[in-house]
Amino acid sequence: MGPGLTVSKVRETAMLRWLDELSDAGIFTTDESLVIRSWNRWMEQHSGLPASAAIGRPLLEMYPDLVERGFDRYYTATLGGEVSVLSQSLHRFVIRLPGPMRNEPMPQSGRIAPLIDDGTVIGTITVIDDVSERVMSEREMRRQIVAAETARATAENALRLKDEFLANLSHEIRTPLNAVIGWTRILLGRPFDEATLARALAVIDRNAAAQAKLIEDMLDMARIVSGKLRLNMGPVDLTLVTRSAIDVILPAADAKGITVRARLGDAPYAITADADRVQQIAWNILSNAVKFTPSGGAIDVTISEAPDGVRLSVKDSGEGISQDFLPHVFERFRQANASVSRTEGGLGLGLALVQDLVHLHGGRIYVESAGRGSGSTFTVVFPAPAKDLTVTAQRATVDVSLLKDQHVLVVDDDADWRDLLSIALLHAGAKPIVARSCSEALDLLRSGPVPSVVVTDIAMPVENGYALLEKLRAMGGPMATIPVIAVTAYAGPGQEAKALSAGFHTFRAKPLPPEEALGVIVETLRHLSSTR
Amino acid sequence: MDLTPRQRDALVELLNIGFGRAGASLSQLTGHRVLLDVPEVSIHPIGDLRQVLNSVFTSDVASVHQIFAGPVAGDALLVLDHTAAGMLKQLLTDDPPLPLRIDASAREVLTEVGNILLNACLGTFGNLLDVQVSFSVPQLNLDTLHGVLETLMVHRESMRYAMLVHAGFRLRDAEVRGYLVIVLSVASLDRLIRSVEQWDRA
Repeated sequence: MGPGLTVSKVRETAMLRWLDELSDAGIFTTDESLVIRSWNRWMEQHSGLPASAAIGRPLLEMYPDLVERGFDRYYTATLGGEVSVLSQSLHRFVIRLPGPMRNEPMPQSGRIAPLIDDGTVIGTITVIDDVSERVMSEREMRRQIVAAETARATAENALRLKDEFLANLSHEIRTPLNAVIGWTRILLGRPFDEATLARALAVIDRNAAAQAKLIEDMLDMARIVSGKLRLNMGPVDLTLVTRSAIDVILPAADAKGITVRARLGDAPYAITADADRVQQIAWNILSNAVKFTPSGGAIDVTISEAPDGVRLSVKDSGEGISQDFLPHVFERFRQANASVSRTEGGLGLGLALVQDLVHLHGGRIYVESAGRGSGSTFTVVFPAPAKDLTVTAQRATVDVSLLKDQHVLVVDDDADWRDLLSIALLHAGAKPIVARSCSEALDLLRSGPVPSVVVTDIAMPVENGYALLEKLRAMGGPMATIPVIAVTAYAGPGQEAKALSAGFHTFRAKPLPPEEALGVIVETLRHLSSTR
Repeated sequence: MDLTPRQRDALVELLNIGFGRAGASLSQLTGHRVLLDVPEVSIHPIGDLRQVLNSVFTSDVASVHQIFAGPVAGDALLVLDHTAAGMLKQLLTDDPPLPLRIDASAREVLTEVGNILLNACLGTFGNLLDVQVSFSVPQLNLDTLHGVLETLMVHRESMRYAMLVHAGFRLRDAEVRGYLVIVLSVASLDRLIRSVEQWDRA
């Protein structure tokens, strides 16, 4: 203790030194002219200004944004004797200092108070608290609340869409079925002429195909969602595939008086893809265009080179898509408006499926529309293929010559399918053998000619296709190696892998048009002859 | 202590100047038009305060407390119930509410609001009396009304009076009601009332 200093004076000096060097708050003082008179260690550290550089400078000149943000009035009030409390929420910060958040000054709250000596204000003191952590944790909490809220809304919306989808689904499944049943009853119930028969068959064919497509789409979607859809990648000529997709939708377009203009170029556009899936993509986009284009409209289909691959564009003169709905076009179960879906039918699965399939191919899909009434353009870009791939024709017509005089055993408890396939086989020159059950098939195998191929259903009463396969193999001799093809209506995800690992040669889902079934049998025979 | 109608009117008019100043500050600060209702004033011995306020506040309260010293000395508080406090914070800042209604940020904002209102009213008194009043840094307390009143009683033997001012904040089509409590010694209150009377006559 120096001479002449009282104990209280020493204590005061010690306290000031603590505030100067050790405080975890920023503290600075000014005189009554707002010239800085002290600047503690915290202020030095966070402002980057040493006390020697700050002291003696007018505060409002050193930090001119204090005036811009109206803080000068707090200092004026303080010089009038008032204390000001400055909350972070309403002021963000007192002095602009770098903080832990990018592009944002350190969040602060502060207090500005007068320094009063003997009833006279002789200066101001400003105390600053760094509230960065609190602000960050509050923001995080808000972010989480918003995220939880969004997630809940999304889940509720998904649930609602699913409900709508189910309601829609039952309608969509029933509609074609009603047509099929109705016409079948007519044919069964009374004599009919040729014209009625042709008309009935056309209606039944169209509706059955529509329903098969519906179920295919749903199963594809289920496979995609569960990650079980596999692509058979190979060289594909996009032009050829697109042309055949156009052929499929042309009757529907004609019926509505819609002109389809195709500018596909002369040269084949080679891509690496799954031919069936590319056809599905093209077909879905085209039939969507037909669906939403009014009578007398036009659809333009073009294929062109894109910087990152090959571009397939389908432009229609239809009702277009509103800006609100554009972002949701590819969402599952979504349709722009319920009344259109009701008049046009469909489940709202097609475009979602298309998008998933395009993504699986590593491509991209987008839609453009200037709004309602302005038509829309769907564009798919498939990635460019490796250069040396040669494009071969897809979907060659089935060469049935291999079937000539071949015995083919058809096992199915469904008489219609047995008849359908046997007639197709007979027409192709083959010799079908039919069995209604596993045991009947085994009897025929023991007593009759050895077939070249067995085509069997899987789900049959008493003993199923798997049992047949097992017992047939157990017979030994030629039976041990006969290729067995499974054709089943029960084609849920995982069924194919299960069938193939059980020893079936090929697995196909019903409904299977007879010519495709023949194609599968021919493929199998060809495979057999090439491996022998 | 009862005020004559004339004294009461003059006091209301004076407080109204303070309320106007506080409303202007809050409007400027938040970017929303903030209005403070014309104050209603009554004066009670501090011992009666509990009985008067008990009928108003049934649950815990948020209070901003500032001590002032000088020729006129005492305690000033802004008292709000928790619902009003949370609502005021939300109306003044644009932040969506957090599950904890009176979180650290809300406490800071309420402290600032209390500070603005108390400064405005006491500042008006100071100007009137032409005296320099010095203020403590305001403190926010979340407590029962009983707890708040206890802190006002502690160590104060002398007879004191409480000026109870009804304060209603109106902003963004909503209204938040609270009370301003200014506790003064008999001498301070006398001096204030006399000055108000002179000001009224001037």
